Amino acid sequence: MRNFLTVMLFLVGVLAISQNKQILYGFDDTPQSLMLNPGSKVIHKKHYGIPLLSQIHINGGSSGVSVYDIFNNGNDNINDRITKKIFEMKNTDFFTATQQLELINFGWRAKNEIFFSGGIYQEFDFISYFPKDLAILAWEGNSDYLDYKFDLGEVSTTGDFMTVYHFGMNKKINEKLTVGARLKLYSSMFSYRSVNNTGTFVTRLGDENSENIYEHTVENADVSVETSGYASLRELDGPNEVIKEVLGRTLFGGNIGVGVDLGFTYEINDAFVLTASALDVGAIFHRKDVENYRAHGNYTLDGINLIFPALSDGESTYPYYDDIEDEFEREIPIDTIHNKYTQFRPVKINAGLSFGFGRFFASDNCDCMNMDTGVLHKQNVGVQFYSIFRPKGQQLAGTLYYKRRLNEFISAKATYTVDSYSFSNVGLGVSADVGSVNFYVAADNLLKYGNLAKAKSVSLQLGFNIIIDD
Amino acid sequence: MIRTLVISISSLFLCLFFTACVRDTDFDQAEDISLSPIMELDLIYFNLQASDFYDTINGTPILTLRDTTEIKFLDDSTLQESLKRADFYFKFTNSIPRSFQVDFEFLSEENNITYETGTAVEQGEVSTPVITEFTHIVEGEAISQLTLANKVVVSVTIPSSNENLQGTLNMKSKTTYFLEY
Repeated sequence: MRNFLTVMLFLVGVLAISQNKQILYGFDDTPQSLMLNPGSKVIHKKHYGIPLLSQIHINGGSSGVSVYDIFNNGNDNINDRITKKIFEMKNTDFFTATQQLELINFGWRAKNEIFFSGGIYQEFDFISYFPKDLAILAWEGNSDYLDYKFDLGEVSTTGDFMTVYHFGMNKKINEKLTVGARLKLYSSMFSYRSVNNTGTFVTRLGDENSENIYEHTVENADVSVETSGYASLRELDGPNEVIKEVLGRTLFGGNIGVGVDLGFTYEINDAFVLTASALDVGAIFHRKDVENYRAHGNYTLDGINLIFPALSDGESTYPYYDDIEDEFEREIPIDTIHNKYTQFRPVKINAGLSFGFGRFFASDNCDCMNMDTGVLHKQNVGVQFYSIFRPKGQQLAGTLYYKRRLNEFISAKATYTVDSYSFSNVGLGVSADVGSVNFYVAADNLLKYGNLAKAKSVSLQLGFNIIIDD
Repeated sequence: MIRTLVISISSLFLCLFFTACVRDTDFDQAEDISLSPIMELDLIYFNLQASDFYDTINGTPILTLRDTTEIKFLDDSTLQESLKRADFYFKFTNSIPRSFQVDFEFLSEENNITYETGTAVEQGEVSTPVITEFTHIVEGEAISQLTLANKVVVSVTIPSSNENLQGTLNMKSKTTYFLEY
């Protein structure tokens, strides 16, 4: 238990948040900005991601607690700190971890001026809300909480491990508008979710008419866990076998899903540009290797009622304890169901409004980076909006940014983001072209790098591409 | 100008990545993390009639009634390690005009007595039941004895009885488990 807690707290602190890639969004110098808005303005002619290195993304966070909150080397007791945090945090606080790895990414401009792009990436995504009442029950017990209804419905968590195959098109429709769409095929290797749970547990002090001192009651319980890709792993022997089996599902071995990304760029005038995208509008259809568990019902425990039966020699009394266990299983049965289920992907919405100034010329004679019509600005300032749909509602983030093309080869973007985690998230991204090799790195929460333990979220993306401009 | 900017931004990144660290923390404290929940849980209860202490068929008193129940979680290895203290609380409501001796014998899987306790219950009256409360705290060495058991035998002994005896003996009980993980 103690080890489990330690590992959980450590993971929570070290990993980073909720899929927001505020630095890469609208950062058109990297091909990966096309993954955040399929309708973004593409200024290059072709790109190839360097396999396995074109995008490495890790992101994790916890909205209510940092590693420092728990493990700081202060004089107070660590258990007091945990107690304090358990009571401070709300049941809408959450822990998340996301990781993405691009296996392949490529794109080219066809003769009809449509920019095609496609690729494969692998994604891991996890979120768990803080089940506050259960944490209190485990941490303090029910002794000080007579008549308090512990909410079993606070359990809300999902986890997914999948491969995504995608292919997109991007076209400049007219002087002002560029639109794009991307079709995605998901191959889910492993997935679970436990959401929309209900129920309470309460210990009431009985009165003189009660059977016993207390009444322990589980009321309106309906707790379920849906899994796919799990049942077949259970019989496997050891972690090596499991890893081998899961990776074997990479190539369409899992449950299939389908989705789209949509986006546009609208140049309002020379200075203002509006962009927006909706990502992962789709669902995964869990059809095979599905196993769901559901426990539901009501039960009141009064303790063991002895009835002192008259027994002859060698005869044994009633199996009181077994009877209680049986009764519990009868009243709150745990059903194992093999129903297929459909899981909607968490839809992500991005939007941005950018104001550009300072015309950018790559050289004195020719605007080489801007063969297309339109203006390439030297500097941009803007606002961005991000939202992701999670089990307990939307999570939102707002970003202010400043972007600057330093020269033909290097662009940088600085961001200030307000989200569920903090009001002081400063990020920075740099994209550099060395010959035709493009390298980019983007990280947020830079102010916390002096002491990562204090960060509630960390996000990092980096990658290498080959970009061909003409 | 641009060169300066490039260099400064690059060095900023380099600095950040190389100086990024986790400071002022002590992960050894994980060793000290302990959960210490206090759980309240009902134990056993019964209602005995005065007539239960008299065998009307043979016309003889039954001076001791005995029953047994398993308490399977008690000798669970997790509980053996984490239980620090157990407070037993028994509440008797007696309207039988007799005092009682109630004994609790905790038995292991092999039916050896590992722990025992008991109490006297005050004599009651049919019209005015008398309440006897009994609290028994188990801690320290005794915990390891208690958690060897997985069942309890309850014996209720009456000093004398006859067919005209009236009233009921009710018992309710609970245990407060002080755990530490």
